[in-house]
Amino acid sequence: MEKSVKIALAGNPNSGKTTLFNALTGSEQYVGNWPGVTVEKKDGILVGHKEVVIQDLPGIYSLSPYSLEEKVSRRFLVEEGPDAILNIVDGTNIERNLFFSTQLAELGLPMVMAVNMMDVVKKNGDKIDFDRIAKALRCEVVGISALKNEGGREAAEKAVEMAKKTVVEKGPGKLPDVPHVFSGSVEHAIAHIEESIQGKVPARSIRWYAIKIFERDRDIIKKLGIGVGEMKHLEEHIRDCEKELGDDAESIITNQRYDFIKRLMDKSLALNEKRKGKPTMSDRIDKVVTHRILALPIFILSLCVMWFLAVAEKGPGTILTDWANDGFLGDGWHLPFSTHECREEGKYKGMEFEDAQGVFARNDASKTAWEEAYLEKLNEGKADAEKVEEMPEEIDEKVAAGVVAKGVFVEDEETGEPLAKECDCENCAKKRESGEECEGCGCGCGEPDIWDVDFAAYKAAKEFEEPDPKQFGVWVPGVGALITEGLEKAGVGDTVKSLVVDGAWGGVATVLGFVPVIFIVFLFLAFLEDCGYMARVAFIMDRLLRRFGLSGKSFIPMLVGKGCGVPAVMAARAIENERARRMTVILATFVPCGAKTVIIAMFAALFFREQWYVAAMMDVVGIAIIILGGIALKKTRFFAGEASSFVLELPAYHMPTVSGVWHHTWNRLKGYILKAGLVIFPACVFLWFVMHFDWSLNLLADEEIEKSILHDFGTWIAWVFKPLGFGSWQGAAASVSAEIAKEQATATLKLVTVGMEGASSGAHIQNFFASISEFPKLAALSFMMFNLFVPPCMVAIAVTFREMGSQKWGWLAIGFQLFVGYALALCVYQFGVLFAGGGFGVCTVMAALVFLVCLWAVVRPARKAAVKT
Amino acid sequence: MTLAEMKEGERARIVRVGGEEAVKRHLGALGFVAGTMVRVVGESYGNQILAVHESRIAVNDATARDIEVDKV
Repeated sequence: MEKSVKIALAGNPNSGKTTLFNALTGSEQYVGNWPGVTVEKKDGILVGHKEVVIQDLPGIYSLSPYSLEEKVSRRFLVEEGPDAILNIVDGTNIERNLFFSTQLAELGLPMVMAVNMMDVVKKNGDKIDFDRIAKALRCEVVGISALKNEGGREAAEKAVEMAKKTVVEKGPGKLPDVPHVFSGSVEHAIAHIEESIQGKVPARSIRWYAIKIFERDRDIIKKLGIGVGEMKHLEEHIRDCEKELGDDAESIITNQRYDFIKRLMDKSLALNEKRKGKPTMSDRIDKVVTHRILALPIFILSLCVMWFLAVAEKGPGTILTDWANDGFLGDGWHLPFSTHECREEGKYKGMEFEDAQGVFARNDASKTAWEEAYLEKLNEGKADAEKVEEMPEEIDEKVAAGVVAKGVFVEDEETGEPLAKECDCENCAKKRESGEECEGCGCGCGEPDIWDVDFAAYKAAKEFEEPDPKQFGVWVPGVGALITEGLEKAGVGDTVKSLVVDGAWGGVATVLGFVPVIFIVFLFLAFLEDCGYMARVAFIMDRLLRRFGLSGKSFIPMLVGKGCGVPAVMAARAIENERARRMTVILATFVPCGAKTVIIAMFAALFFREQWYVAAMMDVVGIAIIILGGIALKKTRFFAGEASSFVLELPAYHMPTVSGVWHHTWNRLKGYILKAGLVIFPACVFLWFVMHFDWSLNLLADEEIEKSILHDFGTWIAWVFKPLGFGSWQGAAASVSAEIAKEQATATLKLVTVGMEGASSGAHIQNFFASISEFPKLAALSFMMFNLFVPPCMVAIAVTFREMGSQKWGWLAIGFQLFVGYALALCVYQFGVLFAGGGFGVCTVMAALVFLVCLWAVVRPARKAAVKT
Repeated sequence: MTLAEMKEGERARIVRVGGEEAVKRHLGALGFVAGTMVRVVGESYGNQILAVHESRIAVNDATARDIEVDKV
C-alpha cells in the first residue's frame, strides 16, 4: 500500500478554509463566518486520492498561541508535522493574511499558497503578482475561488505533488530553503540561536524555533530544555538587537514581518485606485446594525423572529413538533394537501377526518352523559353496598325510558367551556370562511352548544364508533405505531412489549420529538453566524456582558443554549479569555433549553392557566440568574480580575450558502440526535427497569409502582426535597430521572403518580401536588424551577466537565448550578408559603439565610487581585 | 494620543501598541503594528470598529486606550 500523504489546510479565520475543505473532501464539516468556528482539527480524504488525508485546522492569525484554537493548530503543525501545507489566503485582504504565511513558510515544510476569493479580487479590479510572492516566500502560489469551486483541487494536487517530491529529492538532513525576512542584526542573532539549538530540533524547522526563542517564547524554551546559562548567552544577542532597534524582541519580529510584507506588496499588489477609502457594503450595513440606538432593537427583533419560528403557538416550530410527536414518531399522520375523506362505508362515509372527530366527540359526550344519568337513576335509594358501578350489559328499558341527561356539551380542550354551535346554513358558512364571527342569522350559531339526551338519542349515539384515521385519505403510520404493530405480530410477551414501547422507544421518541424546535433554532443561528451578523452581536453585547464578567462572545453560547445545552457549552471555546470562557460554560445552560420547555409547557398547562406569564417568566429567570450569577462569580477568587480586552474581527457580510448553513446546522444537531441514541436509550431502559421491577426482580404492573426499586430509592432521598415542597418519593424520583434528560421529568412524573385520583394523567399530577403540600401551586412552581435550574442533563454535565478542563473546575461548575437550583426552589417555595399565610418554620429561616448568602455574594465588594489558575 | 480619543471617520498612523503581552501579540498578528494606518469606521458606546489593512476589527475602549496613534 502506498504511504499516506498528510496535507494540512491552514489559514486565517474567514479565509474560506472550511469551504475549501468541504469541496476537497466532500465530508460534512462545520463552516462558519464566526472567527474560530473550527476548534478541533478534522480529517477528510481528498476525493479521488485515497492515500491523501486533508487535515482542516482551526482558522488562526498567527503561530504564537493566543487562543485555545491557536494552541491546537500550532501544536499540530510543529509537533506532528504534516507532509505539506496548503495555506489558504484571502486575496481581498492579502497583506494581513501573509503575516501568517511568513510564519508557516519558516516551518520548512513544502507549501502551496492558495489565494482565495480571486473572483472578488478580479471584480474589484485589483491585481496580484503570484510569481513574485512565490519567489519571496519560497512556495507555490495559485489563485482559487473556493465558493465557486474553482482551482481548489489543482492547489491540493500541487501540494500532494510537492510532498511526494520532497521525500524523494531531499533526504533527511538537507535543509529546505526558507525566506529570510528580517534586518541584518536580527538575522545575525537568529543565526547564533540556530547554531546553539542544532540537533535539538528537527533540522527543517530550525529557523522557526530560533525565531521563537528570539521572541522569548516560554513554551518553546521550556520544551527544548534550554538552560539558564545557555539562555543567558543568547539573551546578549537578543538584547543587542532590542537596544539597536529600540523595541522589545517580539515587537521587532512582528514589525519586521509586516515591513517585509509591505515591501513585497508594493511590488506585487496593484489595488484599484477608484476603490480606495470608499466605504464598503459591509461598512454601510454596520452603520445601521451597530448603530448606538438601533443596534439593540434590531438584535431583539432578530431574536423575536427566532422565537416565533421555533416555539410560538401556531408557528412552524410548533406545527412541526406536533407532527413529529403525534404523527411521525407516534400513531401516524395524514398526508397533507390531499383530501381526507372517508372511503369506508359507515357513519363517516365522505366526511373529512376532523369533522368525523367532531361528530364522534358530540355523540361520545351524549353517550357518557346519558349512562351517568342512567346509573344514577338505577342507584336511587339503594345502599352504598348495592350500588351498580358499571354500565350493565342489559339496559332496563323501563327505567331507561324516563332517563334524560340534561345540559350535555363537548368541552373545549383549552378552556373547558362548552364548544360553540356551528350550523351548516349558507349564510354562516360564508361568514366562517371570511373569518367573521357567525351571528345574527337566527340559527343560534356561535352560542354554546348544549343539548339534552333521552333514551332514543342515546341509542343513536351509541352507534358511533371512534373514527379510524386509516380510513381517511392517505394515512402514514408513525414509527411508534409500527413498532407496536411489529411486536404484536412477532407475538412477544407484554414485558418485552412494555420494555420496548414504554421504556426504550418512549424515551428516544421524546428526545427526537424536540428535533424540529432545536433544528429551527440552530438553522436560524447558523444563518446569522454565516452571514456575519453574530460577530456584530458579540460587539454590541460586549459592553453589557463585560459587567457580569462575561465577554461579548458569551452571547452565542447562550443563544445556542436555547436549543440544546451541549453544543452551547462547546460553543464557548471561541472565547479566548479563560475566565470568561469558564463562566460562560457555567452560566450558558441556565437558558431553558428545548427539553426544558416541555417541563414548562406541562406545568403551565396544569397549574398556571390563569398565570400565562409564568412560562415566559422562566426565560427571564434564566437571564436573571446569568446576570446575578455572573456578578457573584466574578467576585469570587476563582474569577476575580478584569477581563479588559476585546478584539474581534468582523467578517464582511455575505449571503450564506445553503450547503454552508446546512453543514453548520447539521453538525450541531447531529450531537443532539446521537445523544438520543447513545445516552438516552440505555438510560431509559435502566429507568424502565427500576420502575417495573421490585428488589426480588418480580415484574410489576403499572399500578404496583409503589413496590418498585425506584420507589424505595425515591423514599431514601425524599428528605432532600422536603424544604422545597415536593419531598415525596415521586418528586424525588422525577427530579433524579430528569438528570438523564430534562424532558424525562414529565414522563416520570406521569408514571409515578398513576396511583393518584383523577381521570387523566394531568389530574393525577395535580392531585399529587395537592397531596404533598397545602399550597400545590407553589410546590409545583418549586418543582418546575428546581428542574429547570439545577445542572442540565448528564450529557451536558459530561461536556461541562470536559470543557472546564479539570475535575476541580468541573465540580465547581456543577456545585454552583446545584446550589442555584436548590436555593431558587427553596426561596420560591418558602417565601411563597410565608406570604400565602402558611406560617413560619425552620425551613423559612433556612430560606432566609440562603437568600442572604446569595444577596451578599452579589453585592459584596469585588476582590482586586486575580488568582493564577 | 490614543486610539480611544479618535472619532468616527478619522484616520491615524499607529505609533506604539501597549498593554497585556498576549493581547499585544494578537493585535500584532491582526496588523496593529507601528506604522500601519487605521481608520475608525464605527463607534458604539466607546467600543470601536477599525479598518486595518482590508479587514474590520472591533475593539473595546480598554484595548483602544493601549494603542498610541498619530492622527493624520
